[in-house]
Amino acid sequence: MVPTSYYVLLSAILFTIGVLGVLLRRNAIVIFMAVELMLNAANLALVAFARERLGVEAQVIVFFVITVAAAEVAVGLALLVAIFRTKRTADVDEVSTLKG
Amino acid sequence: MELLIWLIPLLPFIGFLLNVFVIRRERTAGLVASGMVAAAFVVTLIAVGVLASMPPEERRIVSTAWEWINTGSFQVPFAIMFDPLTAVMALLITGVGALIHVYSIGYMHGDPRVVRYFAYLNLFVTMMLFLVMANNLLLLFLGWEGVGLCSFLLIGFWFERKTAGEAAVKAFVVNRIGDAAFILAMLAIFTYFGTLNFYSEGEGGALGFLERVGDIAGLRVGPNWQPIFVSTAISFLLLIGATGKSAQFPLFVWLPDAMAGPTPVSALIHAATMVTGGVYLMARTEPLFVASFTTQGWVTWIGALTALMAGTAAMAQWDIKRVLAYSTVSQLGFMVAACGMGAYVAAIFHLLTHGIFKALLFLAAGSVIHGTHDTQDMRRMGGLKDAMPVTFRTYLIGALALAGIFPLAGFWSKDEILAHAVGHGHTPIFIILFITSLFTAFYMGRQVALIFFGTQRDPSYHPHESPQVMTVPLIVLAVGAIIGGAINLPVLHWLTDWLEPVLHEQAGEFNLWLALIATIGAVGMGYLGWWIYTTNAAKIKIGGKDPIYRYSGDIWEGMAEAWYLDRLYQRTVVAGFERLSDFLARVFDPQGVDGLVMGVGRFFGGLANSLRAVQTGYVRTYALVFTVGVLLVIGFMLWIAR
Repeated sequence: MVPTSYYVLLSAILFTIGVLGVLLRRNAIVIFMAVELMLNAANLALVAFARERLGVEAQVIVFFVITVAAAEVAVGLALLVAIFRTKRTADVDEVSTLKG
Repeated sequence: MELLIWLIPLLPFIGFLLNVFVIRRERTAGLVASGMVAAAFVVTLIAVGVLASMPPEERRIVSTAWEWINTGSFQVPFAIMFDPLTAVMALLITGVGALIHVYSIGYMHGDPRVVRYFAYLNLFVTMMLFLVMANNLLLLFLGWEGVGLCSFLLIGFWFERKTAGEAAVKAFVVNRIGDAAFILAMLAIFTYFGTLNFYSEGEGGALGFLERVGDIAGLRVGPNWQPIFVSTAISFLLLIGATGKSAQFPLFVWLPDAMAGPTPVSALIHAATMVTGGVYLMARTEPLFVASFTTQGWVTWIGALTALMAGTAAMAQWDIKRVLAYSTVSQLGFMVAACGMGAYVAAIFHLLTHGIFKALLFLAAGSVIHGTHDTQDMRRMGGLKDAMPVTFRTYLIGALALAGIFPLAGFWSKDEILAHAVGHGHTPIFIILFITSLFTAFYMGRQVALIFFGTQRDPSYHPHESPQVMTVPLIVLAVGAIIGGAINLPVLHWLTDWLEPVLHEQAGEFNLWLALIATIGAVGMGYLGWWIYTTNAAKIKIGGKDPIYRYSGDIWEGMAEAWYLDRLYQRTVVAGFERLSDFLARVFDPQGVDGLVMGVGRFFGGLANSLRAVQTGYVRTYALVFTVGVLLVIGFMLWIAR
């Protein structure tokens, strides 16, 4: 059986890629995908620990996370469409009208 | 009976409330206001009747409504009382007040703020009644300040005129000086007696301070090298309070300026009632004053000096109302001097008769002003006796009464003061007061000649007699001015007997020689004044100088300016304050206050400006900060807060 630490390591790598994706990319859709990557990295860690401890609570939480992520994407993409209609761009750096 | 005496001040108060909150029409306002004061007069008459039916030593009704102030040892009840002294004051206030209210209906007709005027007038009567009916110094002070407030409001009633507003402020500020001393006197009285009540509250109550003046006999206060008697300290402070309200030297400067108010107000407040508050105060606290020989000397001299200064000032005025104003100050000086000499009954007697005939003179002057379309300069009058017969006759009666011509009211009261001065060895005071009484006759003769005799010097208006609503009060007051002296005729001395339970005075001797000389002098001087200004009528020009100026020179100027007392205050006190205000307005306010406020604003503005750069608007920057924050928190949790 694959040791849990492998899963956790993979999860950490995926999470880091997600963070860097959010921080470094400008395209809003890519940022969204990076956010999804982070969420799923967390899910992977949860499932790995659940398997180790033979519990179900963490697995239930994973389902919650998937639901919330779906809702988040729905709202986020709607926002993105609205921004694209007014600004004609999906570049988040272009959307900086709220600067002080 | 207790309910009855509460009705006396409450009826005008109801009138005040109605005028403030309910009434909107001029006619109803005048009728309600007059009706309430007249009703108060009737109630006062009934109360006096009840009082007269009691045995003389028990003639005092005290009634407590509620505990007004109750903090530890300082307890002040909201209590009024009704005794012979209060009774005569209340009769004067409500009686003369009612007539003046009726007169005001005619005089103020057509003014845009009549309802407010009557509200103020009712409030004034209420406050004045509380002043004379209070059974403790604090309630008296409430009335004292209340009448001061009404005086301020009514002097400045026509606030569109700059002079009226300034005069109102001046009256208020000058009175504050006296009031400060009054408050100190109250503190001293509370310190030494532990109570502010005049008399005990009913049977078995603790005695008031006027009944325990013996407690402070011989007590001294102050530094060892110069101790003064406590009685002197208290009564002197009360004297300063009285000089403010009763317009005595050195605080009388506000009264002549107060003539900027409507004329009925001058009659009611600045001649008949409010300004007598100081005299009433001294008569009420008579045991304190009598206990201090020193203060009594001051009282006498202040009164006599005021009488002389104001009497001379009155001779040189051109404004019809300023003559009467200075005359009022002068007559108040007579009353104060009488108080100082211990002739309290004579002072109250003169207060009552003066209240009647000075109200008459002011109202008649108001009728003249009304009939000549707001002319107040006597140089623009003349020859009005045919156009205004009723006003002329009543004015003449008032003038004769003020001059002290036998047998009018002023003769008896003034003679009583002079007789007391002679009889008790106050010779210098007597001489001053006698000369002043001659001056009084002179300026009244002058005024009558200038207004009513000769020919009209300013043809730009057509004089007319006033309506009946104004002349009837004049006639009633004229009757009062004729027979008013009857209340204390030399042999009968009803007033002395009536006031005996309060003032404990015996009737003075009637001095026939003095009466004869005084009458001859008054007739002579009055005639002289009349004669000079009728024979020289042709020399009086509008805006010109007085005929006597040729002979007297600049002394006349000094008299016209009331011996430059106003200018003295202007140059010393007022100028300093103006400079201070100027500094505050031009330097301290823009640089000090504004600098502080603007500086605080600018500091935070600058701070915000530099912090603004943090808000770049780039989502990725925010995300980076967020991430770093999360890492810091996690680091904290893992390594530091484990």
